[in-house]
Formats: sequence, C-alpha cells, structure tokens
Amino acid sequence: MVDYRIDRRSGVATYVQIVQQTKQAIRLGLLVPGDRLPTAREVVEATAVNPNTVLKAYRELEREGLVEARRGLGTFVRRSLGAAPADSPLRAELEDWAARARESGLEREDVAALFTAVLETHYPEQAAHAAPAHTPQGDPS
Amino acid sequence: MTTALATPAAPARATGVPRQWRWLARLHRPALICGGALALLTAAALLWLGGPLTDASAAAWKAYNACAWDEVCRYDQDAIILYKEVYTWTTAAVLAVPFLVAAWAGGALVGRETESGTARLAWTQGVSPTRWLASRLTLPALLVVVGSGLPAALHRWAWTAADGRVDTAKSWHSSATFLAGGTVPVGLALAGLAAGALAGLLLSRAMAALATAAVAVGVLWAGAHAALPYLWPSVTRVSGLRDGPLGSGMHVGEGVLTADGGRAAAPCFTSRLPDCREELADLGATAFYRDFHPASHYWPLQLVTTGILLAVAGLLTYAAFQVLRRTTGTARG
Amino acid sequence: MTVPALEADALGKRFGRRAWALRDCSFRLPAGRVCAVVGPNGAGKSTLLALAAGLLAPTEGTVRVLGARPAAARPRVGYVDQDKPLYQQLTVAETLRMGADLNPGRWDADTARRVVAGGDLDPDRRIRVLSGGQRTRVALALALGKRPELLLLDEPMADLDPLARHELMGLLMGEAAAHGTTVVMSSHVVAELEDSCDHLLLVGGGQVRLSGEIDDLLAAHTRVTAPATADLSPHQVVESRTTGRQLGAVIRPSGPLPADWRTGTPTLEDLVLSYLRNPAAPALPPAPETLEAAV
Repeated sequence: MVDYRIDRRSGVATYVQIVQQTKQAIRLGLLVPGDRLPTAREVVEATAVNPNTVLKAYRELEREGLVEARRGLGTFVRRSLGAAPADSPLRAELEDWAARARESGLEREDVAALFTAVLETHYPEQAAHAAPAHTPQGDPS
Repeated sequence: MTTALATPAAPARATGVPRQWRWLARLHRPALICGGALALLTAAALLWLGGPLTDASAAAWKAYNACAWDEVCRYDQDAIILYKEVYTWTTAAVLAVPFLVAAWAGGALVGRETESGTARLAWTQGVSPTRWLASRLTLPALLVVVGSGLPAALHRWAWTAADGRVDTAKSWHSSATFLAGGTVPVGLALAGLAAGALAGLLLSRAMAALATAAVAVGVLWAGAHAALPYLWPSVTRVSGLRDGPLGSGMHVGEGVLTADGGRAAAPCFTSRLPDCREELADLGATAFYRDFHPASHYWPLQLVTTGILLAVAGLLTYAAFQVLRRTTGTARG
Repeated sequence: MTVPALEADALGKRFGRRAWALRDCSFRLPAGRVCAVVGPNGAGKSTLLALAAGLLAPTEGTVRVLGARPAAARPRVGYVDQDKPLYQQLTVAETLRMGADLNPGRWDADTARRVVAGGDLDPDRRIRVLSGGQRTRVALALALGKRPELLLLDEPMADLDPLARHELMGLLMGEAAAHGTTVVMSSHVVAELEDSCDHLLLVGGGQVRLSGEIDDLLAAHTRVTAPATADLSPHQVVESRTTGRQLGAVIRPSGPLPADWRTGTPTLEDLVLSYLRNPAAPALPPAPETLEAAV
C-alpha cells in the first residue's frame, strides 16, 4: 500500500506529487503488478486534497501504462518500473558508494548535489513536466 | 454518479407535523413544565376559591349581616379576607397568562431561533420555513387554548359561585373580572402567541421580541377594555325625573331626554332637589335615561370580544407567514 | 450531469433600502466540483450561500440550485451556517436523532455518526458545553447525514485547529469522492482551500471577480517581471507595480510576450490577492461552456 504525503510548499503540483510517489513506490517494489492503488476516497480522506486531483493523477498513470482501472474494482498496478527493486545489486553498489562518500567526509548536501549532477548528465530533461492543462473531469467513483 | 458506499437510509417514520411536535416539546420542555405547573396551580387555587373559600366567606357574611347592629358580632373575618386575597391573586394569575404566552413566543419559541440561527438550521434540515412556523404555532396554540381556557373557565365558575353570596364579590363587569373569565383570556393568549411569532421573525432578537410581544398584548388588553361597552348593542332604560337614571350593569352612557326627543347631558340627578328641578326644567328634560349592559349581556360581550381578538390573532399569523415567505423566498423562490 | 449545481444570473441582494450585499452576480458551477468561495470579510460570501440555500430571497436576478428554485431544492442541499447554530439544550446524540427525524428517507446515520465519532465526542454531552471545533463537527454531521447533492459551507473551518481542519477536510473530500457531492465552501483564507478545491469563485465588494476552474484561471494569467519601461497595454493588467527600474505585474496575456520578460504562473494566493488589491481590475468572463459539453 502507498501512503501519499502531499507537500504544500514544494511548488510541485499536487497531482504530480501523487504520480511521482506512486512511481517511487512501484520503483521500490512497495507496489507490484496486481496490487490495488488506494481508492480516490481513501486518498482524499487521508490527504484532504481534491478528489479530481487524485483521479487526474491516476489517469496520468494509466496513460503511461503503469496502472489500469477495472470498472467497479479499483485501479491496479500493471507493470513494474525500472530494474532497481529495493534489493537489487545496483542498490547494493549505491549503498556501498554512499558509505564510502561518507567516510571521505562528504556532507549530505554534497552527496545530494553530486548525485543530482550525475543524474542530470545521464538523464537529461527527465524532470520537466508539462504545464497543467485542463482535462475534462470524469465521473468520480 | 455511483453510490456504491450508500448505506440504507433510516426507515421513514411517522411523517410531518407530529414528528416535529416531538422535537418542539423536547426543546421547550422546561417551559412546558413551568407553564403546565402554573396552569394547574391556578386551576387548583380557583377550585379552592370557588368551593371551600366561597362557602366560608358566604357563611361569614351571613353571620355578619345577621348580627346587624349587635354590639358584639361574631363572624369569621379571616374567611372574608382570605377569599378576597385569593380572588385577587388568582385573577391576576389568569390575566397574566396572555402576557406570559406572548413573552415566551417572542423570546423562546421564535426570537431565540431567529437570533441564534437554529431556525436556519431547521430550514435546511428537511423542514421548510412554512412548515417550521406552522409546527411552532399549532401545538403551542392547542396548549395555550387548554392552558388559558381551563383557568378562565374555572375563574368564571368561581365568580358565579360567589355571586349574590359574598358581599365583597366583584361585579361581573369590573374589568379585571370580566377579562379574566369566560373566553376572552383564550383570545388574548392566542393573539399573544401570534404577536410573539411575528415579533420574533421581524426582529430576530429574542429579548426585543419578548418585550414587543408583551407590549402588544398590553395594547390589545387596553383596547379591549376601552372598546368593550360598544361591542354589543346596549339597553336603554328611561326613568322619571324624580328617580334619576336607573339600571345596573356595565354603564355605557346616561343623561336626560328632552321634549323634542333629543338627548342631553344631565346637570344633576334628581328633581327632588329644588335647584336640580329648575335646571332640568330649563333644559326641557322629560326623563332620565341610561344606556347599559345588563348581566345577560355577559356572554354576547365575551364572545364578540373573543371573536375580535381571534381575528387579530389570525391577521398576525398571516403576517408572520408572509414575512417568512418574503425573507426566504419560499413563495416565489 | 449537464445540470449545473449552482447557476446565478444577475443575482443581487439588498438589505434595507441602500446596502447591496451582492449585486449583478452571474456564474455557473458544474456539478461534482469542490468550489472555493473566496473573498475578504463582508464581501458577500455568506449572502451568496444563504441565497443558494433558499434562506434568503434575492432582491433581483435569479439563482438556480441543481436546476431548481432554491426553495424547491432545499431537501437536496446541505448547509452549514458560519455560526454553526445548534440547539444548545440537546445532547449530541439527540441532535443526530433530530436530524434523522427531520430528514426521513434521506438520513444516513452511519455517515453522521462517523463525522461525530472522529472528534472523540461523548454522545451524551450537551451542545452547550462543546468547543467550537466540536460544534463544527456536529453541524457538519447534520449536513452530511442528510446526504446532500450540494453542500454549502460558510467558513466551515474557521474555528478548528489544524489537525481537525485536515481531518474534516479529508472527510468532506471523501464524501465528495464517494457520492459525487458538489461542495461549495467559503473562506477568507485562500491557503486553507488551495488543495481541496478545483473551482474558484472570487467575491469582492459584492461582485463576482473571478469564476472558473482553478487550473484554467491560473493558466490564463501570467506573472511577469519586466523593465519599468515595458508596455503592458496590449494585455489585460490585473496588477502592476514598479520598483526602481523593474516592473512586476499579473496580467492576462492577449498574445505572445517579449522574450526579455521573465514570466511564471501565479499561485492561487497571488492571483486572488492581486484581484482583491485592485478592485478596478476587469472581472474574468465565465469559463467557456465546453467544460460541461465534454462530460
């Protein structure tokens, strides 16, 4: 199950936060194919965000082929994401690297900056999001 | 729109007004208890007055009148005084009922709800404004009829029991006695209820509505008192110049009749006095007359007064519904 | 769903002889939205909600609620007054029983109980002794227990602590999600509603200043920083301020903007404040009707 945390001061649109957190959960193996996402009602009761925002996020995930809505049953994860589940060798390597970075006296911010810089080099333009365009509202169910 | 999570609705219970009455009674339980206690207490006091107290007082008066000019007269003076006191207090209690009803209706029944906003709560809780007002007028009206009618009827009964037996008993037309007995208190109380409701709706302030409604009943009371002699055709009795004007009951007017058939104010009241005889002769008076209501007019006067008060109550009720419809847009929406 | 939840046409309400609380208001709120009615105190928000609830009659113009006259729609509409009026002498449990009695056939006892249960409220306590937040909870329970299609809430969160506010807002959103309830809530605190609402009605000085989907409204406006000499005139200017050699403005662009202007999307709070600070700024025409046509 995924527990969404909405950060009001992040400047990131709420529906984008839900999309990102769902992907993160899939990436980390917290959600695997066949798992049901919380219903819109469950999400909004916990986060107090607008139901249409949650539906918009779910539609975005559906558009990307990550989840599918089954009428009357809920929204289910269709596939996993990336090749780095929580216990993969890549993660072990990263853990190893992080430990060495710390030993060599790097601060948390230094590590983050370094990581982001490398990420930018290898994955350009990944973080950009289209401006929120209005999509017709569906039937909230 | 899916309603998958809908739970079965509560089963519909008895519809409409009775269900609202139950909540009305619950909301006004203290007033209901106090009002009921006051009505019962007054009724009990009136039963005591019309029964044992009247008998004791009548016996005392009989003893007093029997000993006439004896030097030592034995009679139960306490019984006479007690009768008078209890009569005064019970009359005051019956007269107070319409004022209490008006103050309660203006203050607690409607004014407090319009002031605090609970009226709006009710209007958005499945009770339309007109049904809300209707429920707030019908049940209290029934209770008011009982609560003012019973003491008023007993008051009349107690008065009748003492009439002609207790020498200090008030005459039927003394204003306190007339307005406390019969059907007039019921009419006044109902008018007070309607006045309270209207004031509560118009002012939306409990204390202001309470005061306004009580003043309105005062005005009606004074109006009834002033108009009373003219509400039923009076009887005219013509008497000789020596006798002066005759006829006992509620006086409406009196004077002299002149030779040309006209009426004039009486300068004095018997031709046995020489000065008076001259004055009457100067006027050309042929007889005295008096317009008055004999005791047999008691019920016609009561019923006409009550009818007028009920009409006033009806108008005030109509006005209250109109005010409600206009403010909430129920009529044209 | 083609019937709008709320539709006003040249709506106006005057109290007494002269004081117009609301005048010439026209807007349209599609069903299924969560709408924020925002504006300073005394702007006419409460009057607007009372008109929609059928508690006041309009002086001029019309308001349609769920396609009907407000008085006729009353059984399908829930309303919570700013003061959260309740019968002081009743207990919490009695208040809910009264709700059940006054709404026969509609009452949803489970929902009502759930709203109250969240507040750690003893059902046998009298309303008189409840805190402001607890009273809000009971008032909301009455309104939600009626299972309304349209819920009108006047400053619902005003006397709640942040925790209760978040929880009750979540509960409201849950109801909206489960039943498609249209929610209209007023507030003078924009931040309080930003995440929960998808529609905005900005009221100021008795007029509707902005009305539409929040996303659309934000997309229609641009926050620009430009040289003080910049010419804004081709665009509709909501607000502009010159500081030294720089000019900051919120505009509705009517064409492409020069490349040397720095631009950004305003936040909802920015947008609302810029309109409220500038009463002369033109009101945005109502959103195009295509929104409903798409459903």
